Amino acid sequence: MRSDAVVSSAQQGKRLQPPEKEKSAILLDERGLLDLPFLALTILLVIIGVVMVFSASYARAYWKTGNSTYYFARQAIFAVLGIGLMLFISRINYQLWRATSPIFLAATVFFLILVPIIGVTVNGAKRWVEVAGIRFQPSELAKIAIIISFATLISSYREKMATFRYGVMPFAVILVVLCGLVALEKHLSCVLIMLLLGAIMMFLGGVKIRWFAVGGAIVLLFALIYLKTQGYASSRIVAWRDPAADPSDNGYQVLQSLYAIGSGGLMGLGLGKSRQKYLYLPEEHNDYIFPILCEELGFVGAVVVILLFILLIVRGYYIAMHARDRFGALLAAGISTHLALQTFLNIGVVTNFLPATGISLPFFSYGGTALLLQLFEMGIVLAISRQNDNKLL
Amino acid sequence: MAKKIIRLNRARQERLTTKEKNQRANRTILRRTLVLMVVCGILAFIPLIVTLYNLMIRQHDYYEERAIRNQTRSTYLTAARGIIYDRNMNILASSNTVETVFIDPNEIAEQMKEPKNANLLDQIARGLSDILEVDEGFVYKQAADKEYRYKIIRRKISEELADRVRDFVSDNDIHGVYLETDMQRYYPYSSMAAQVLGFVSTDNVGSEGIEAYFDSTLTGTAGKVVTTKGNYGSEMLYTYEKYYDASDGNSIVLTIDDTVQQQLEKNLQNAINKYDIKNGAFGIVMDVNTGEIVAMATLGAYDPNNYLEIFDEDVFMTLEEEYDAAMDIPKGTEAYDAAIAKYNSDVAAARLRQWRNRCVSDGYEPGSTFKLVTLASALDCGAVTLDDSFYCGGQEDFADRDQTVSCWKTAGHGAQTTAEALGNSCNIAFGHIGTRIGRTRFYDYVNAFGFIGKTGVELPGEAGGLFFGRDITTASLISASFGQTFRITPMQQVRAISAIVNGGYLLQPHIVKEIIDQNGNTVQKSERTVLRQVISNETSMTMRDLMEFVVTEGTASAAKTPGYRVGGKTGTSEKIDVYDENGVQVEDKIVSFVGVAPINDPQYVVLVALDTPEYVPGTTFTPHGQYISGGLMAAPTVRDIFLDILPYLGVEPDYTSEDIRGVNMVVPDVVGRTEQEAAELLTAKTITYRVIGSGDVVTDQLPTAGKQVPGNSEIVLYMGEEKLNVMVEVPNFIDYSVADVNWLAANAGLYIQAKGTDVTTNYVLAAYQDIPAGTQVERGTTVTVEFASKGASD
Repeated sequence: MRSDAVVSSAQQGKRLQPPEKEKSAILLDERGLLDLPFLALTILLVIIGVVMVFSASYARAYWKTGNSTYYFARQAIFAVLGIGLMLFISRINYQLWRATSPIFLAATVFFLILVPIIGVTVNGAKRWVEVAGIRFQPSELAKIAIIISFATLISSYREKMATFRYGVMPFAVILVVLCGLVALEKHLSCVLIMLLLGAIMMFLGGVKIRWFAVGGAIVLLFALIYLKTQGYASSRIVAWRDPAADPSDNGYQVLQSLYAIGSGGLMGLGLGKSRQKYLYLPEEHNDYIFPILCEELGFVGAVVVILLFILLIVRGYYIAMHARDRFGALLAAGISTHLALQTFLNIGVVTNFLPATGISLPFFSYGGTALLLQLFEMGIVLAISRQNDNKLL
Repeated sequence: MAKKIIRLNRARQERLTTKEKNQRANRTILRRTLVLMVVCGILAFIPLIVTLYNLMIRQHDYYEERAIRNQTRSTYLTAARGIIYDRNMNILASSNTVETVFIDPNEIAEQMKEPKNANLLDQIARGLSDILEVDEGFVYKQAADKEYRYKIIRRKISEELADRVRDFVSDNDIHGVYLETDMQRYYPYSSMAAQVLGFVSTDNVGSEGIEAYFDSTLTGTAGKVVTTKGNYGSEMLYTYEKYYDASDGNSIVLTIDDTVQQQLEKNLQNAINKYDIKNGAFGIVMDVNTGEIVAMATLGAYDPNNYLEIFDEDVFMTLEEEYDAAMDIPKGTEAYDAAIAKYNSDVAAARLRQWRNRCVSDGYEPGSTFKLVTLASALDCGAVTLDDSFYCGGQEDFADRDQTVSCWKTAGHGAQTTAEALGNSCNIAFGHIGTRIGRTRFYDYVNAFGFIGKTGVELPGEAGGLFFGRDITTASLISASFGQTFRITPMQQVRAISAIVNGGYLLQPHIVKEIIDQNGNTVQKSERTVLRQVISNETSMTMRDLMEFVVTEGTASAAKTPGYRVGGKTGTSEKIDVYDENGVQVEDKIVSFVGVAPINDPQYVVLVALDTPEYVPGTTFTPHGQYISGGLMAAPTVRDIFLDILPYLGVEPDYTSEDIRGVNMVVPDVVGRTEQEAAELLTAKTITYRVIGSGDVVTDQLPTAGKQVPGNSEIVLYMGEEKLNVMVEVPNFIDYSVADVNWLAANAGLYIQAKGTDVTTNYVLAAYQDIPAGTQVERGTTVTVEFASKGASD
């Protein structure tokens, strides 16, 4: 860690100094210019996301609250706050997250333990806690906690990562604790993302490939036991393979989603003109917002949005590869991976490419704190990008 | 030195190794990040884009169609079903708007997913069962099919009930219970012309009769509004709507006249009662010059308002007994199941029977009535002239025929002219007439008279004739020439008889006069259509005379209609192909008469057939001692029909005729008039009078105004004197002679309308009186008495 810091401080002098006259510049601060493509892509996706929330949600908003802009207004406020937060975070030296990672991890565990105790139930699931009027899912924190803590550990263990004691044990312990706590919430999709995220972080860190084989086998075993014991999960599998078999029950959501996507065609029905959003497709502004996008903007619109995601993800990895230190690289790669996993799993589920599970689409799905956390992550990547010209290569 | 170097090297190597390891770890991160960039950033999204391509481009049509079906609600705009009118625009069938209650099980199930709505279905079931008097269990059963959006709870309810359902729905803010407008067919005349009209089933499909034949015309086109609807009925901002305009059904104006139809049915029913007819009766009244059917009836009928109910009381009681008997068998046994199954199939058969229009859908054995066709053909082709003579010895063996032909009169008719052969309805004579025409020529005439094909009348399920081919054998020709061993439809027969009397023109029969739209504009009108001239006008004129001869001098004397000149032909035929349960051919008979009036200027043909008068086995008498024949059963029925319908149809009776005695006259109101004024009014009606009292004006009259008395009757005018209002007992007239009946009636102060043959021989006795003996009636009442010759036959 120390050698890292030495390198960074030694190279500080060479970096571009901020112009004197523009002291409060957001894009260009004393550490450098943030990555403009990444920023632009993020803001573009947030804007499209908010517009889609408006389009997708107003029928349900009107039906439920009588105010068709109910969801849109909240999401828009959070989007503005979130972009502000992202820019603020981008100006904080990301080394702060290395220093505070044990606190972050401990806080996450604390909140996760709070869930069963003072948790708030939404839609029949007890996954939220409310602190100082802010309601959020500690499991969302857990994913970030994994990225930060794993990046911290890997960058300090460095070459020891090849060993079991350093390369596997600490990570396994963290994963088991966090995943165990999230599993208590019966939040299968989140556990899945955490495991994948953890595994990919370890893979990045240099853990020997054979350990993945072992870990994969264990996960597979658990998955099989889970499928055997949990009826609702296996009935999801049935609905996945043939959604039309039970159109009114398990297959309903998938079918409605496919109707929305399929009726989009090449060019879509036009922005705002979705029909499936009229209370046919459940969760149309949350997990199932992408089908509404497909229906309204067509195959072209859907592919454009996917391309924006791809560009953002690739740019994220690019920033990781050009990070000035290993921690930054791991952090940026971890956050990009998180973004990629969420996007892939969400679109995979709504297109019935994957069995149904509740995963939200970053920047699009309605949810204020979730959006704040996503933009918080983007802010970290932007912070890393400021010192980017110091390449690892 | 060497050691040192080695140590140095190792130290450097170790130092290098640490650095290298560090760099290698960095390179690993870099390499693996690159791998992730490719895998997570690019490769992972390829299958997703492929999936989207499949869904959105390749399967677009499929999903779009499914989605639209998912999102749209079709609101049907009911087109009013057209009205069926009689020829005088009396409504025979019309539609009322009613409502049908249905639920949306899918919507109810969706709402019940919310805990606050958990009791929604219970509430709906209780509410609907209260209002609509349906079983709660039925509501649950209908609601169980959760993928459906339309399940009917009760059809065709009144406005009042519908309002109560609406109140229930709005008071409790219930979603998922709906009403839709529906149609209820109403037949104001109940069973009148039931088989002609048909009925409309619960799902609004015309069944049987005109309702079926003109179903699409009457139905019109239901309009439809296809609207995109949000789930739970939420409104959409961007909707698309497609309108399909409803166009009301057209109305049908029949050629049927309600009065004539009622008289036909009344008289057929009377005949059924009088002559112990077992299997119902049917009859047609047709305009011989236009081919328009003025009345068409099949008894036992049914009530199209309740078409599933068995209308005939006897059949209904028999079925009830069968049901009760089945219920006495212990449930669950095979015998019970078999009995119930038999009951159900018997009910179904009884329904089909009562719905059947026997005038067009079934053949019957025309018997001797067909001799008119044979003779018309023979005269037309010159095979026979009026001067020919035919000898009947009671039975005769014909060449090329093994079976001996027997005449109904076993003693034989002796030598007869052509006219006498028809008047006697002599089978042997007609066998000769048939062979003179020749086999193919006979067939060609039968075909030309329209007995082979269908008539094309606007009714469903029409049958053709069941006749021989053009290669008919001589043996068959002989039987056919006197009307046996084949079947034709009553419709074919009246059309052929019309052709025989109207100058030889075979007409297209019509039961539909015109089709009009909802504004009364004619859409389609039936025109008089001559298909061909079958016989010459001269032959037709000859046939009229011969037919009148049958009534005046032959077997059909009972058809003599007071005030009118009638021609016709009787028929009594053994039913072919009817067997009892042992497979033995039974002696069931169908008696018929086809009459035309006025025969000097033919206007209407009436066919009446009575199916199977009950008979004492081995005899040709009914249990009441009536001789079974068309002349004694069908002919008087036709006469009664003529009496009831001809004045109504504007066919004026011949007031100078002696027969006027048999025509009922309506007594005019002469109270308050002078004797002279009264005399004028009464004379116009051929009524005479005697005066009681010595006042200047008529103070009272007996019978009172509006009552009917036979022509040439004498009524009593009271001039100042008090009327004696005495009730008298109707004496028994049956089996008394004409003179005796008149004497008995005069003694009792009653009027007699004599019907039937007026041949005053010893054989002619009263056979029927319309007011039973022993009934107390007012003095001056008219009793109709029918006289029948115990000797006449066929």
